[in-house]
Amino acid sequence: MENKVNYDPSFAEEVFRNVDAGDEIKMCMNCGVCAGSCPLREHMDYPPRQIFALIRAGKREEVLGSQSIMLCTSCYTCAVKCPRSIPVIDVMHGLAHYALKQGYVPRKDTAAFGGEFWKQVYRLGRIDEKDLPRRVFFSGGLIEGVRAMLNFMDIGIKLMLHRRMKLLPERKIKGIQSLRKMLDKAERLGKGGAIA
Amino acid sequence: MADVQTTSQAILVVGGGMSGITAALEAAEAGYDVVLVERNPYLGGRVTQLYQYFPKLCPPNCGLEINFRRMRQNPKVRFFTMAEVASISGREGDYDVTVKMAPRYVNEKCTCCGKCAEACEAEIDNPFNYGMDKIKAAYLPHEFAFPMRYILDPSIVGTDQGKKCLDACEYGAIDPDMKETTFDLKVGAIVWAAGWNPYDAAKIDYYGFGEYKNVITNVMMERMAAPNGPTGGRILRPSDKKEPKNIAFIQCAGSRDENHLPYCSGICCLASLKQTTYVRERKPDCDIAIFFIDIRALDRLEDFYVKVQADPKVAFIKSKIANITEDEGTGNLILEGENTRTGEQILMNFDMVVLATGMVPNRIELDAAPDVTHDEYGFFTNNPEQPGIYGAGCVRTPTDVASSVQDATAGALKAIQSIARR
Ligand SMILES: Cc1cc2nc3c(=O)[nH]c(=O)nc-3n(C[C@H](O)[C@H](O)[C@H](O)COP(=O)(O)OP(=O)(O)OC[C@H]3O[C@@H](n4cnc5c(N)ncnc54)[C@H](O)[C@@H]3O)c2cc1C
Ligand code: SF4
Ligand code: SF4
Ligand code: SF4
Ligand code: SF4
Repeated sequence: MENKVNYDPSFAEEVFRNVDAGDEIKMCMNCGVCAGSCPLREHMDYPPRQIFALIRAGKREEVLGSQSIMLCTSCYTCAVKCPRSIPVIDVMHGLAHYALKQGYVPRKDTAAFGGEFWKQVYRLGRIDEKDLPRRVFFSGGLIEGVRAMLNFMDIGIKLMLHRRMKLLPERKIKGIQSLRKMLDKAERLGKGGAIA
Repeated sequence: MADVQTTSQAILVVGGGMSGITAALEAAEAGYDVVLVERNPYLGGRVTQLYQYFPKLCPPNCGLEINFRRMRQNPKVRFFTMAEVASISGREGDYDVTVKMAPRYVNEKCTCCGKCAEACEAEIDNPFNYGMDKIKAAYLPHEFAFPMRYILDPSIVGTDQGKKCLDACEYGAIDPDMKETTFDLKVGAIVWAAGWNPYDAAKIDYYGFGEYKNVITNVMMERMAAPNGPTGGRILRPSDKKEPKNIAFIQCAGSRDENHLPYCSGICCLASLKQTTYVRERKPDCDIAIFFIDIRALDRLEDFYVKVQADPKVAFIKSKIANITEDEGTGNLILEGENTRTGEQILMNFDMVVLATGMVPNRIELDAAPDVTHDEYGFFTNNPEQPGIYGAGCVRTPTDVASSVQDATAGALKAIQSIARR
């Protein structure tokens, strides 16, 4: 047969062997719940399901060079919903660590995003989807920030229409103090976000 | 009242759905004495609440009617409604069973004239329609009920309302003094055919069932489509009773999910495919989207899938919906997810959502019962260490009527063998 496409499982095997929790993706049934519920999905080049599908497809460069694995903030949304009980976060973090070890680095904007996400959770106990992009955009300076923000307007308006992004700034959650204690501890343990 | 003489040559069938009825009739027609106990005030089980059967789209009542006729003609089957097994002891060939019967407050003299219901002012949630409407507290469970006999809800017995019913009945059919009764049976084998319950959709919190009015379940959809249902056969949004312009079906709602039912419920793909035909025959311009992980229409049932696929008004979108929010102003529902074929995000608005919920088996939950075995999901498994008691139908596996009937025939044969061995 001509035009034969070989199935190349070598990258998947590399992941199963070397990445923490990497073999968990064998259980993934490609349902899309993680990708459909991740609060950062608009910012991810490949949401979790697509990362897992790419691993199976042998796309090493796309996966290890992906900003998504660096962006994941351990919010647990996907993990609590995954119908196959896959510890999606552990896999994403495992992949991020593995990518860093292999010499891949997060892009500047990804690092800024992760940093702001973390600070905002610390401040409010939740994510203000309007405020977060603003802070991220301006982390690179005023002019660049305005330009980036204009680009983002479309998504912002769409989100607002669907009440996902509220017009008023989010208030602090109840029990923010205990959340902060937890976050401090998590940071001390070196697990505070994939890029920490 | 229940004067039931049986011997260790008799077979007990628990559950009067399609599986139990089949097991009872097959054994009786082979010459064995059978006692059938059914918890509901009528026989037929869950299929009495279905509008049509896939794939032929015929009404379940014809099949049921044939079975009821077989039952009326065969003195070897005795059946008891509003009856449950209270305890089972003994072993193959020699079981002692206690059956508990709840009072119906209406005896066999009832002619179904309906005068009691006319006189009664009290209403209860209609269990037959999954609480979507109200019914008088003196009622016929449904128009094809077998046995065809009224029932009084315990809440009115001994009250003014109960008295009104009693006074209205010209046939002496109402008996407010009926009490719970128990009777003992001796049987040689038992067929457990207690069927299934719909999975509680409220447990899938991100779909908002119970909170968003226009999110309903597939069993409710069956009632809506039925002419004797709460809407007289019209498909209407619960919030404003308007006809929906578009409807989403969410497959595997609570099934194939480690957080809920880890197994595939087997029939809900076909049920949704069937329900698209309910919608289309009533409202040809209604758009339908089916959100699925994969469609499980096996063997010959695939033809039905192919038929629905050809309908230009039915879109199949490969995605397990991740979240539903309600638009408070309109009561519309906003579905979020990922289209796993294109990788695009889904953000779609629907007038109504049907959750394709799955089946939970009814296990034997008695203080005293032989050690029966279940699989990891709670389905009955025939235990070679415990011959004499056999599962039949949806207690063994979530499946359709045709397979339940086959399984029940096998169950009847096993029960007969248990008696023959003795
Ligand atoms: C939305 C939906 C649509 C469906 N549509 C179709 C279809 O179109 N075609 C098809 O073939 N199948 C369909 N099915 C599947 C069908 O409903 C089942 O195959 C069928 O009900 C199985 O019958 P059963 O007798 O095993 O269980 P059941 O119908 O559940 O009957 C069990 C009986 O046992 C009684 N019982 C329970 N516990 C006890 C107890 N402890 N003591 C005494 N009695 C008890 C119950 O009251 C009930 O009457 C559908 C299912 C769903 C969810
Ligand atoms: S939710 Fe779980 S099973 Fe579904 S695509 Fe994501 S990882 Fe795979
Ligand atoms: S844990 Fe990571 S991947 Fe999962 S939903 Fe949160 S950010 Fe997205
Ligand atoms: S109980 Fe009496 S009044 Fe009610 S339907 Fe039966 S016969 Fe008529
Ligand atoms: S039959 Fe279809 S909808 Fe039901 S659990 Fe299986 S795959 Fe999901």
